[in-house]
Amino acid sequence: MTTAPASIRPAVARDVKPVRNRQPVHSRERWRNIVWLIPALAVLAVFVYWPLLQNIVFSFLKWNIYSGEQTFVGGANYAELATDPIFGKALLNNAWYALISIVVQVFGALALAAIVESVRSERMRKAFRSIYFIPSAISLTVAGLLFYFIYQPQSGMLDAFLTSMGLGQYAQAWLGHESTAIFAIIAMSQWQGFGYSVLLFSVALQRIPVELYEASAIDGVGPIRRFFSISMPLVREMTGLMMIVTISGAFQVFNEVMVMTSGGPNNSSQVLGTWLYHAGFLNNDFGYAAAIGVAIFVITLILAILQLWMSRSRRVEW
Amino acid sequence: MRKFTLAAASATLALALAGCSSSGGGTQSADLGSAPDYTGSISILTAFAGQPMGSYFENVIKAYKAEHPKVQITLSQETDDNAVKDKEKVLIASQSLPDIYFSYAGNWGQNFAENGLAADLSAQIAPSTTWGKTFGAGALNAFKYNGKYYGVPLYNDAKFMGYNKAIFTKLGLTVPSSFEELISDCTTIKAAGYTPIAFGNKDGWPGLHYLQQLFAYNVPRATLDKDLLPKTATWSDPGYVTAMKQFNELITSCTGDGTNSNGVTYTTAQQQQQGGKAAMYYQELVEFDSVNTGGSRLNKDGFGIFPLPAPADAKGDPTTLEAAPEGYMINNKSKNAALALDFMKFATGQKNAAVLSSPPYGQPSAVIGAVTATTSSAAVAEGSAAVNKAPSTVVWLDMATVPTVGDAWVSASEGLVSGGLSPADALKAVRAASEKAK
Repeated sequence: MTTAPASIRPAVARDVKPVRNRQPVHSRERWRNIVWLIPALAVLAVFVYWPLLQNIVFSFLKWNIYSGEQTFVGGANYAELATDPIFGKALLNNAWYALISIVVQVFGALALAAIVESVRSERMRKAFRSIYFIPSAISLTVAGLLFYFIYQPQSGMLDAFLTSMGLGQYAQAWLGHESTAIFAIIAMSQWQGFGYSVLLFSVALQRIPVELYEASAIDGVGPIRRFFSISMPLVREMTGLMMIVTISGAFQVFNEVMVMTSGGPNNSSQVLGTWLYHAGFLNNDFGYAAAIGVAIFVITLILAILQLWMSRSRRVEW
Repeated sequence: MRKFTLAAASATLALALAGCSSSGGGTQSADLGSAPDYTGSISILTAFAGQPMGSYFENVIKAYKAEHPKVQITLSQETDDNAVKDKEKVLIASQSLPDIYFSYAGNWGQNFAENGLAADLSAQIAPSTTWGKTFGAGALNAFKYNGKYYGVPLYNDAKFMGYNKAIFTKLGLTVPSSFEELISDCTTIKAAGYTPIAFGNKDGWPGLHYLQQLFAYNVPRATLDKDLLPKTATWSDPGYVTAMKQFNELITSCTGDGTNSNGVTYTTAQQQQQGGKAAMYYQELVEFDSVNTGGSRLNKDGFGIFPLPAPADAKGDPTTLEAAPEGYMINNKSKNAALALDFMKFATGQKNAAVLSSPPYGQPSAVIGAVTATTSSAAVAEGSAAVNKAPSTVVWLDMATVPTVGDAWVSASEGLVSGGLSPADALKAVRAASEKAK
């Protein structure tokens, strides 16, 4: 393989120290900039940070929403969280969601994007991108209802398909059994979000200089090796970002579970978001719901920090 | 989108709860004794959203405003069950309950009554009062807490097995007189190619309705009442396990989808009976007119009802019927409580009660004399009469006890249907929930 010209050789940003603009800024201009930021800060403070702080305070309380009576219970809600088997189940389901989403929506989408981008005809490439993207244009609620019908045991397409293929013994109520419900929901979610990931990876792949592929092709490198040696390293930044966004999204999943099973049967498909809703709005245990909210916040905060750290250390330039 | 939804849900929770004051609901009471101010305004929250119920309150308001044109009425409608429950909880937390709001009987209404959110209507609606005498006493008593009356019962509801008369006649079956006979009939019906009982348990509560009726049959009433209160509950009577085993037997022998029933919605099951595919369907009295619609296969075949038959060796009360009225409460802090009361008197007048009991609404009014063979369909009239004659009634399990325990029973019902939970394990989970709720 010939060496790529220095101008297009990939470089990782961690080797390059960021250079700050040290030009003096007039103090009046600086204050003007700050003033422009105040409205946005005020909105964030009122609608994000203040409720967030309140939620933390609520997580230390037990109260009757009917009477408004509040009692400080210390860390009792957190102690309950640690021993609640359904919270554990919900956490595990979120982890399954994250794991499967990484495999399908990150690596699967990257592979498919590479295949789509390797199609010679531009018209066909556009057509494929659109075909894969269409499910992402459907709202999660609508997709959830659609798949509810696909999974129906009596008239659902999936069981009918299995039966027609001679696999009738596998036909079942996919959303009605503890062992399959969460995976049936995750499968729907992959179908819905897959096309969006493919589109993002397609954009990232399009940014890779075509000379790299041409040079490797001249050297006789096959498409699979090209994918692993050129495409994957050069979309590393996007892959990292997608992984973090996917994991973070997996821990905030709510709509599809509510629409398809509401966390049932027998709490088998509960995720953190639905268990929070369940605790607060169905069981009237708002203090405990607030504690679940704090747990979700901590998990997503850690993931967000990780996201920032990874996006700094994985920047690729050429 | 999902991030936004969850963030919105969390923010709603936090903002709603932010409205809670640590001092409680205050002591101000609604002034029900003064004359209604016919230039004032009231707000109403119903559980009648959607078709065909949506137009009922709209028409009542129109008629009321025709008599009192200066009155301003703000109507807000939600669908029954979770939608209206969620809405009310948010309104409570933000201290903005409307002047008139929907309530279930049982623990749901009790929370409003005992926490100063509902006006004490005893002086106006107790059975001995003029207005009270227009209602069935059972319906009024369903909203009686600590000796006081808090609710205006709008309609009665109860659970019955609806059956297809043509299928029963064709197979030479009669209305089963015992649970064992019902199970035996299921075998005959299944052999003839019909689904014996249509059943969809996607939401968990349809199974709960079977369970509560079977508990009432298998567990002595005093024990059941004690167990519904976390403070006195033990959930140790062997009748519970017996009832759950009977429920499992019914799922296995009588339903078309068996252990797959958790993947089927209640309405899908409803349609199976409506289309003549299922011989029976356990349904609420308020559903009769929406299942047995004109032109449907069921309507042509003939629609009959009977209570879920009791097991032969039932240790509880075999005459108990699972039934509960649904009604409305007046906000204890309403500034126009007298006007709200006047509106509810108008809404439960004989004319409006008859309209409510007639198709397409088919909600059997709790007002005496409103449900007759001329105003209502035959099934609604028969069901309504059965409710009035029932020696004792028991409220829906998820409404009869505190939410944590009710929720544990919903999960148990799903686990029992799928076969993932044994009756003993189900009871263990309920005991744990009850212990937590103490």
